[in-house]
Amino acid sequence: MSSTFDTSHLPFSLLDEAEQALLQRSLDIAYYQQGEVIVTAGAQSEGVYIILKGRVSESEERSNDGTALAEQVFVHYQADDYFGGWSAIRGRAIHNFVAEEETICHILPTRVLLELMSGNSLFADYFAQNLAVKSEIVAQQDQDQDMAEFMLAKVGSGLMQTPLVVDEGTSIREATVLMRTHKADSVLVRKGSRYGMITKTDLLEALVIGELEQSADLVQIASFRLVTVSPDDYLFNALVLMTQQHIERVVVMQQQELVGIVALTDILSYFSSHSHVIGLRIERAQSEVELQDAAQRLNSLIKSLVSHGVKVRFAMDLLAAMNGRIMAKLFDLMIPSNMQPHVCLVVMGSEGRGEQILKTDQDNAVIYRDGLSWPAMQVTLQRFSDRLVEFGFPPCPGNIMVSNPQWVNSLGDWTQNLSDWAGTCDGEALMNLAIAVDAKPVAGNPALFKAGRNWFLRHLRNNDLFFSHFTRAALEFDTPLTFFGNLQDKAQLDIKKGGIFPVVHGIRAMALEYRVLATNTFSRIEALVELGQLQAEQGAELGEALALFVQLRLRQQMRRLEASADGQDPTPNLIELALLNKMERDLLRDGLHIVKSFKKHLALRYRLEV
Amino acid sequence: MLFPRTLRRFKDRLDHRHGEHGPLFVPYRGDEVVSLDCETTSLNVAEAEILSIAAVRIRGTRVLTSERLDIRLKPPASLDADSIKIHKLRAADLADGIDIDEALRLVLEFVGNRPILGYYVSFDVRMLDKYLRPRYGFGLPNKTIELSHVYHDIIKWKSIGGTVDLRFDTIASRLDVPIIERHTALGDAITVALMYVRLKYGEAPSAGH
Repeated sequence: MSSTFDTSHLPFSLLDEAEQALLQRSLDIAYYQQGEVIVTAGAQSEGVYIILKGRVSESEERSNDGTALAEQVFVHYQADDYFGGWSAIRGRAIHNFVAEEETICHILPTRVLLELMSGNSLFADYFAQNLAVKSEIVAQQDQDQDMAEFMLAKVGSGLMQTPLVVDEGTSIREATVLMRTHKADSVLVRKGSRYGMITKTDLLEALVIGELEQSADLVQIASFRLVTVSPDDYLFNALVLMTQQHIERVVVMQQQELVGIVALTDILSYFSSHSHVIGLRIERAQSEVELQDAAQRLNSLIKSLVSHGVKVRFAMDLLAAMNGRIMAKLFDLMIPSNMQPHVCLVVMGSEGRGEQILKTDQDNAVIYRDGLSWPAMQVTLQRFSDRLVEFGFPPCPGNIMVSNPQWVNSLGDWTQNLSDWAGTCDGEALMNLAIAVDAKPVAGNPALFKAGRNWFLRHLRNNDLFFSHFTRAALEFDTPLTFFGNLQDKAQLDIKKGGIFPVVHGIRAMALEYRVLATNTFSRIEALVELGQLQAEQGAELGEALALFVQLRLRQQMRRLEASADGQDPTPNLIELALLNKMERDLLRDGLHIVKSFKKHLALRYRLEV
Repeated sequence: MLFPRTLRRFKDRLDHRHGEHGPLFVPYRGDEVVSLDCETTSLNVAEAEILSIAAVRIRGTRVLTSERLDIRLKPPASLDADSIKIHKLRAADLADGIDIDEALRLVLEFVGNRPILGYYVSFDVRMLDKYLRPRYGFGLPNKTIELSHVYHDIIKWKSIGGTVDLRFDTIASRLDVPIIERHTALGDAITVALMYVRLKYGEAPSAGH
């Protein structure tokens, strides 16, 4: 059978041979003149339209009396794009589809679409589901490679821990103390030439359920039927063993000789590329130099995480945790211990939300106890900021950092600032406020920060005017959807203005209103869903859209960083559409669509004129 | 070859309109056109043999590719290296082909009395007639529409004088119609169908060179 339709790209590539043949047999081709309405909102849809040539716009339904509302074009489709799938499944079209140019489309009739969907769940998911599922399918398609790498790693490749070994006759009490000092969560007891394993759980159960004395011999509770692997075994096999046997550690033996233990958590974190190794280095750093060394490894960690296909959201969480630990540790090293209970270091902005991936500007502040007398404070904080720069955290261009005395405040001044900013509605005050409400304590005494935050949240209660002003910023930039017509050659868009900021800020405003304490946007979304302020579906879609924007941005950022001579990227928020494949453009478009409807939701909710 | 086609059609009609194939000779009243294309071993009707036949119906602005006719025939003896280069059909590709009697039956059934559209359509019709006449005693009685004439008339109407480039690829690009699988019967039939729809319903293309 000769084929006249190219099935090589998604979602049609998900179909098997017989299904593709059915597809080929079922397509018609239609021609539309410029301006012709292909599908009318509310009318029955014939099926899915796949564009062969031309350009089609999707726009909002017109009002009943036929007068066009300020007609809002959501999306443009062009060659190889498809549209109408959603309408076909629902039976009725939700939007108008109009040929902007002469257009030739393949039409896949609804009947056949449904048949294909009922036979192929992946294809069905792709068509019927929301953005989240789509991203998942795309991710699956290019994951095989990483998986292979994972499966080929050997047990002996640096994941083993040295086991804590004790001799027969050691008491439960002694073993517990040893485990604590060695930070081990299991211990091996030697009896003759054999080893028995005891975990923390075993100890606990022996004492509580078995009612053994603390002086009882460990051998009594050890399990001598060890599950072992060799250092040459694949890590994956070890994982399978653990799953089969419902255990969390296996012992590594090389020819009857004990060489180590591999724990489930280690295997799982293998994906995160030795992240805990860096974590340990941070924890153990005794000097600023050692800490700097650990900090500088973070960039390559993130790179490898992302190239291993770890979800951006988890990478962000991990990096936020790492950055937080670095700052906390540096703070510990630099701030005199007698002052530490009286000051609190907070990180703000994206750092406070835990949404940085590449180290971006430091946004931080210090809140100190009212009436604290510490003359050297500003000098020390200046040095702290400088040190962070050396660690690879660039200074904040807006100078929002502790080296700037404006951001070093007593608790009283801090709350005063917040309330002043909330009272004036000018741009700079609102920007400062937006940065400050994302604050999160990382070092020193967190009670100082909490007192300020709680006071502020009470202060804002029922201040509708404030929320209306505050939220407005989320609607400030247009969603760059209509630029899609040009995307093949030169188009680029600022993803921060167009996608990230409206979501982050809108969610921030709602979180503030409902006194959600989380600062991370994803967590805030979850909390708002929990509170019933966002619909579950809307929340999930917003989260996915945001993750997608961040991921696309990150990939292009990394590419630019690698290409640039000085390691700087002057345009961190730029997305060059030409570098995206068709699938990614599809996803991006869907994502922006979600942002657009969220903005509408905000405008309605806070009575903003768009 | 002795009588012009119009005369033969007239005679065929007199002979056959009350016969078994009478419906083919009734003037067509519907709104459909069939775009038809044959791939052959040569461009000389006398010696050429048919390798494949494809046809699609056109209804209004729709090209009904879902109701296509796409036939491959048994490999003829004359299939040689030169023709293989053009249509890329080897004997092996035609191994599961059907014989010409079955093919003719399917074509007559699919086309009915609808007008036949093609690019250089008289060649395709003459090719089919060559096989049809010895078996049925008549040639295709259908009205034919020559795509390049339709195109020519519109272009000429737009620009008086000058020559018009009637090459297949030129027409397709001037009409901004995607060329689907050039040199397969089905691809050509669909492309011609699209060009026809475009000419009939779209803005006249500019006459520029």
